[in-house]
Amino acid sequence: MVEVKIDPTTRIEGHHGMELEVEDGQITEARSTMKMFRGAEIITVGRSPRDAAQLTGKVCGVCFICHRIGSSRATEDAAINAGAFDGIPEHAKILRDAVEGIFFLWNHAIHLFALVGPDYSDAVADTGFERLDPLEGEGYQGALENQRKLMQALAEFGGRAPHPLAFVPGGVATNPDVSTVQTVKSRLREVSNWLGPTDAVPEVLENVQNGEFDPELGEGLHDVVSILVAAAREGAADLGSGPNRYYSNGLFREPESDERIFKRGVYRDGSAELMTKDEIVEAISEHTEYSYYTDDSGGPPTEAKPPDPDPNKEGAYSWGKAPRFEGQTMEVGPLARLTISGYDPFDLRANLGGGSDESNTLNRLIARAQEVLIVRDRVLDLLDAFDPSEPLMADFPDDYTGKGVGLWEPSRGTLSHYVDVENGEIERYQIITPTLWNIGPRDGEGNPSIIEGAIVGDEVADIENPINVMRTVRSFDPCLACSVHVDSPEGSYETELKPASPGGMTDVGDD
Amino acid sequence: MAIRSSDSGQTRRNFLKLAGTMSAGAVVSRHTGEIAQALQQATDGPIEVAWLQGQSCSGCTISLLQGQYPTLEETLSEFRMELTFHPTLMAEHGEAAIESMSKSPDVLVLEGSVPTEIPSAATVAEKPIYDWVTELAPEAEYVIGVGNCAAFGGWPAAENKRGLHELGENVTGAKGLQFEQRSQPGVLGPDFKAGSGHPVINLGGCPPHPDYVLLTIATVLNGHEPDLDRYQRPKPFYEPLVHDNCKWRGYFDRGEFADKPGEEGCLYKVGCAGPYTNCDDQTRLWNDGTSVCLNVGAPCIGCMEPGFWDRFQPLDKEVEQQNIFGVDVETAGLAAVGAGVVGIGAHAARKAMGYGTSEQDGDGDQSESAVEERTASDADQQSDTETGADKPE
Repeated sequence: MVEVKIDPTTRIEGHHGMELEVEDGQITEARSTMKMFRGAEIITVGRSPRDAAQLTGKVCGVCFICHRIGSSRATEDAAINAGAFDGIPEHAKILRDAVEGIFFLWNHAIHLFALVGPDYSDAVADTGFERLDPLEGEGYQGALENQRKLMQALAEFGGRAPHPLAFVPGGVATNPDVSTVQTVKSRLREVSNWLGPTDAVPEVLENVQNGEFDPELGEGLHDVVSILVAAAREGAADLGSGPNRYYSNGLFREPESDERIFKRGVYRDGSAELMTKDEIVEAISEHTEYSYYTDDSGGPPTEAKPPDPDPNKEGAYSWGKAPRFEGQTMEVGPLARLTISGYDPFDLRANLGGGSDESNTLNRLIARAQEVLIVRDRVLDLLDAFDPSEPLMADFPDDYTGKGVGLWEPSRGTLSHYVDVENGEIERYQIITPTLWNIGPRDGEGNPSIIEGAIVGDEVADIENPINVMRTVRSFDPCLACSVHVDSPEGSYETELKPASPGGMTDVGDD
Repeated sequence: MAIRSSDSGQTRRNFLKLAGTMSAGAVVSRHTGEIAQALQQATDGPIEVAWLQGQSCSGCTISLLQGQYPTLEETLSEFRMELTFHPTLMAEHGEAAIESMSKSPDVLVLEGSVPTEIPSAATVAEKPIYDWVTELAPEAEYVIGVGNCAAFGGWPAAENKRGLHELGENVTGAKGLQFEQRSQPGVLGPDFKAGSGHPVINLGGCPPHPDYVLLTIATVLNGHEPDLDRYQRPKPFYEPLVHDNCKWRGYFDRGEFADKPGEEGCLYKVGCAGPYTNCDDQTRLWNDGTSVCLNVGAPCIGCMEPGFWDRFQPLDKEVEQQNIFGVDVETAGLAAVGAGVVGIGAHAARKAMGYGTSEQDGDGDQSESAVEERTASDADQQSDTETGADKPE
């Protein structure tokens, strides 16, 4: 038996390592170790709920918009439950969805081209595919140029990116006019042109398989498809197999109804179960047995005793906690969203990845690429529906007492913020991030997390360079900054969540 | 290696041209010669950079990727800089990544704060970031703290208001390289000097503007003496006052205040820290000249300042109400109107508010004064102002 430690794992966000036991070239044991802690929830407690969105927005410089919105929704929900708020204006909801959509495109571009793409490039893996060689490849550089345009689009509404300040509790604090919206659309169209036409996918796939490159069909599309083809050739469909259990909070509401493009619920035992917000909140609890927090720190995030840091705890190996859904691990992210919603554009996962609902390293990449194509159209629809002359901020009192949950669905997967507010001050705060679901530690039953389970059984041809392990790690697009944290004060709390008040604009929470 | 010009045609040649003419010219052009020279000089041989992340959110790296003049790709290739270690951007992983890291870099960059009470709260290759920093910094020619966390501790150093766990007010003992919030010392001690003889160069901001990072590196690579303020920030970037160049400044002078973010009017009463925050981003703008926080109705939260986060808390309340400065700015603003002569009124308001006060006093040499704790209360700052109010214009 050989022990292999990979630290740092690199080309992900944050500090992470993998500890593996390898026997006869096969991984028999895997531990995913999160290696940073800051104490965001502790710092948030005792402050104004408005400041929670500012602070937690800065928990992550990659997922900044997601946390701002998730936190805003939590404090708005608390105010709604306290009877102190009617919810944010309709067009602020549309704008939040639109900027989250732009964020998806940005994040997926960075991930596919700059983080995971190089794993299938010549400089890293000797595949002959040079366009995504880190910093030097033309495809890599083209992606950097285009991600700047997406960030510029975000800055039109948010003032700057990363860490735009305009997304706040009560709505969106900005006054865009028609020309701002036009500018954003034209930025998106430039990026869209670089990517290429959606209906060119089959032809591009054929080109790539024949070693041809036709920039007319989209440079971005050629590069993305090249990654997928390279990954398929490298056997990524047989790597990183998960339990085919998925969870999504849902996203992209239709302006005219409460239907979402990406559905809310879980997928297990071969079928999707759509759920309400309350059902989801009820189902989640966190474990801390293998985390650097005291043993009695786990439980439902709405009421658990907060985890105290215990950096020398025996047996612990991660600063992350272990969230479980009705006791089960759940994979989150693009593959989860698309599987729950029943999307498999061009049957790419069915044809290349061993099945539409199969959890594996290749399908995670395919789903991300498919989602780019779905979301770019969705963002333009949302911007068409957005009327900048409508109100974007609503009154929001300071001195309420209430509990709230903000469910949101960033690019990496489900995000939830939990807050208790007393007389306008935060008493308790918790965050569960997508990355915790995917690459957290074991739970109290000893069940490995999604990534730990996915890596066990895979082969390691070269223990000096376990590139397939890294390919699987990166396929989850892990983002550690926001995944490690503790929450707040001594004492326990009872769940007092109520459904959002019906009617009007009040479905911030529940939708 | 050929660098492809972007759609907007920003090649290195264009960068040099633009550096002399872009709208933030007053600042950038002052350095054009040095930058051009630095780039040329750097092109003569490789410059090794090691970029470490402590308790970071990677926002500074993401910000860096948004830079246009020059872009990161241009910097690394045309200027022959070798990024020997960067956790987000490098090809290698694990041991190979650590091996590739220059152990005596020309430039050591830290992004994120350093936990001193719980060293295991940020590790790389199982080694606390504290050890990496204290080992590598003395070997580096220049040490640059990128972002408020690396410079001053940032939000991980913010107060644990309820004393929720026993380690105290600063949850993990997070510090910056040479400062903890507005005081010294940080991790490296007040007397620290890198190989070049310069202290840590602090690029505050959450995040800092990408130009600050790349232009600072380009400037010091030429051996140019960085002109630093008392918090060791390059003056050209951190001297202008946000309030001076704010698009709502006229509203302030007329005493017209917005009741909530996003409304028409000066945002002072909803928490704007612009009168107390120094940086040039009102004129430089973000994301290739796209916008800036105040332009979209978002009050300045003072993220470029040492002491951010707690200093301006709660962020949505006017700074005056927080009793930091002991001055009623609304009255000052109205006084401006009452005075009838905007110029005089503005001057009075300025004086009353500690306008331009000088966080940037000092000549950059921290060795003597640094030892004493920089805990000058804001009230003291206020009295400093009495003499420093008439900032040269």
